[in-house]
Amino acid sequence: MTATPAVAPTTLAPGPRQRTRLSSWLDRRFYVLATVPALVVVTAIIAVPLVIGIYLSFTNYTPVRPTFSWGGLVNYDQIYSSPTIHAAIKNTAIFAGAGIVIEMIFGLFFAVLLARKLRGISWFRVIYMMPLLVPGVASAVAWSVLFNTGNGWINYFASVVGLPQLNWAGGTHTAMPTVIIANAWAGIPIITIILLAGLLSLPREPVEAAKIDGASELRILYHITLPALRPVLAFAALFQMVNLFREFAEFAIITGGGPGLATSVLNYYVYQTTFVFGELGLGAALAVLLVGVMAVPLLVIFKLSKRGSAPKWAHEPTEA
Amino acid sequence: MAVDDLVAPGAVSRASSPPPGSASDPHRRPSLRRLKRRAGNIFTVVALLIGAAFILLPIFWIVTTAFKSPGDAFVLPPKFLFTPTLSNFNSLLSGQYNQFVDDIGHSLIIMAFSVGIALLLGVPAGYGLARSRFKGSGAITGWLIVAYIVPALVYIVPLYAIYQRLNLSGSYLSVILYYLTFELPFVVFMMRGYFSDLPNDLEDAARVDGCSRFAAFRRIMLPLAIPGLSTVTILACILSWGEFFGALIFTSSSDLTAPVAIEEYMGQTTLDWSALAAAAVFLVVPVLVLAAFVQRGFLRTAVSATQG
Repeated sequence: MTATPAVAPTTLAPGPRQRTRLSSWLDRRFYVLATVPALVVVTAIIAVPLVIGIYLSFTNYTPVRPTFSWGGLVNYDQIYSSPTIHAAIKNTAIFAGAGIVIEMIFGLFFAVLLARKLRGISWFRVIYMMPLLVPGVASAVAWSVLFNTGNGWINYFASVVGLPQLNWAGGTHTAMPTVIIANAWAGIPIITIILLAGLLSLPREPVEAAKIDGASELRILYHITLPALRPVLAFAALFQMVNLFREFAEFAIITGGGPGLATSVLNYYVYQTTFVFGELGLGAALAVLLVGVMAVPLLVIFKLSKRGSAPKWAHEPTEA
Repeated sequence: MAVDDLVAPGAVSRASSPPPGSASDPHRRPSLRRLKRRAGNIFTVVALLIGAAFILLPIFWIVTTAFKSPGDAFVLPPKFLFTPTLSNFNSLLSGQYNQFVDDIGHSLIIMAFSVGIALLLGVPAGYGLARSRFKGSGAITGWLIVAYIVPALVYIVPLYAIYQRLNLSGSYLSVILYYLTFELPFVVFMMRGYFSDLPNDLEDAARVDGCSRFAAFRRIMLPLAIPGLSTVTILACILSWGEFFGALIFTSSSDLTAPVAIEEYMGQTTLDWSALAAAAVFLVVPVLVLAAFVQRGFLRTAVSATQG
C-alpha cells in the first residue's frame, strides 16, 4: 500500500466533515473490513470444530468419560475391520449413486420441458419449485405414511392398477428404493430448477440459427443446448451430490436405517454411533471417513466438468 | 439480467409460436412441422402433468389429512370427499400433543436470531466480496464453499463435545451458532451474486459526490439490493424453519423445534395420522406462503448462484 495523503478521495467534501486519518484508513479498507466479521465467525464455528474433530477422531472420547486418552489409529482400525461400517459405506454409495443418476436424468428431462414456451408453463414452474421449499421432515412424514404397507395410498393405488403390494420401508430389498423415491421427490426438482435457470440464461442466437437451418428440436438439444449447459449440469450434479451425502431426515423418519442394515448410510450411522451410543471419538473418525467418501465423486464430477474445453459430446454429460 | 423477464408469467407467451407460414418457416412441409410441434406440446403437457402429480401427492396428503377425523385418515380407498374438521388443530394447539405451540415458538426464536445475525454479518461480507478483488478474496470465497460442502456431521460431533464442556448444550445459543454454519455462507454467497449484478456506476457516482465507501453501501447500494435482500432473507428463514438434523442433536425439551417435535410424534402416535398431518401443515403452509413472495426472485437467485 502506498501512503496516499488522507485527504485525497475526500477533497470534495466540505470543511466540517473533513475526515481524520483513521476514518480514511478504515474507509479505504471498507471492502476487506466488511468481510472480516463473517469470516471470523465462519472460521470459529466451522474450522475450529473441524480441527478439534480430527483430533477427537484419534481419541476414545465419550461424554461420560471426561478424561480421555490418545488412542492412535484405534478408531480407524475399527472402521477398517467392522462389517457394519462396510455395509454403511456400500449403502451410501448405492443411495448417492442411484440417487444422482435418477435425479439428473429426470431433472434434465423436466428442465427441458419447463424451458419450452407454452401457455401456462409458469404454473408448472411454480409447482416444480415447491419441493425445494417444503421442509424435509414434512415430506418424509408424508412419504412414510403414503408408503405404509397396510393403509398407505401407494399400495392402494398399486392394487387398483393390478401391481403387487410391497412391504416398502419394511422390506430388505424395497427399503432403499423407498428412500430413493422419497429423496427424488425433492432431488429432481432441485436439479430441474437449477438447469431451468441455466437454460433460460443461454443465448438464443445459436438455437434460432439452427432452427432456420431446419434442425429438429432433439438435435438442437443434443448438439447445441446440452454442450452449452455443461457447467450448469456439473454445478447441479455437485450440489445435489452434497445433498445426497448428508440426507438425514428421510432415513431417520422413513426407515430408521433398517430393516437390519438395509438403509444404514454413513451419515445416519454416524448419528447413531455418536449421539445414541455416545462414541464421540469413533463418530469423529467416521465423519472424517464420510468426507473422504464424498470427496471421490465430487472430484470426479469436478474434473469431468473441466475436461476438454473443445466440446466432444460423444458421451452424456449427465452420466457424471 | 434477462432471466427475470423470462420467468415473469406475461413474458412466456411472448416469443411463442411464430405466425405460421412466416419467414421463419421456409421449409417444404410446413404442415408436418406444425404437426410435430403440436405433438411435442402435447407430450410436454402430459409429462409435466405426471411430474406435477408426483410432486403434489405428499402435499395433498398433508393438507387433506389434517382436516380429516382420525378414523377417516385411515380409510381405503382414500376419502376425497369428507366432512372437514378442525379437531386436529384444536388438540394440537390445546397442548394435547406435548407442547406444540411452545415448539413453534422455539422455532421462531431460533429463526429470528440466527437469520438476523446471518444477515448482519453476511450482507456486508457479500458486498465486500462482490465489489473488490482484494488480496485473499478468492481464498475467502473458496473457504466459504468448502465450509458449505463439508458435511455438517464433521463439525457437529466436535461442536457437541465443545458445548458439553462449556455447558451450552440445550441452550438457544448452541442451536443458533450451529444454524449460522449454513445460513451465514448461504447469505454471503447469495448477496455476493446479487451485488455483482448491480451496476458499479452508482457506487462510483456516489463516491465522486463525496460519499465514503461505507455511506455509498448504506445509502445507495443497500436500498437498491432490497429485492434480493428480501428473497435471501425469506430463503434463509425457510432453511432455518425446516432444519432437522442439528435441531435433533442440539435441542432439548426447553427449546425443541417444530420439526423435531413432529419426528417425536412419529414415534409416539404412529396411529394418529391426522394429528401428524396437522402438525406438518404448520411446517409446510407458512413456507409455501412465504415462497409466494419470492417466486419471481427464485430462479434469478439460482442463476446468480450457478454463475458465481
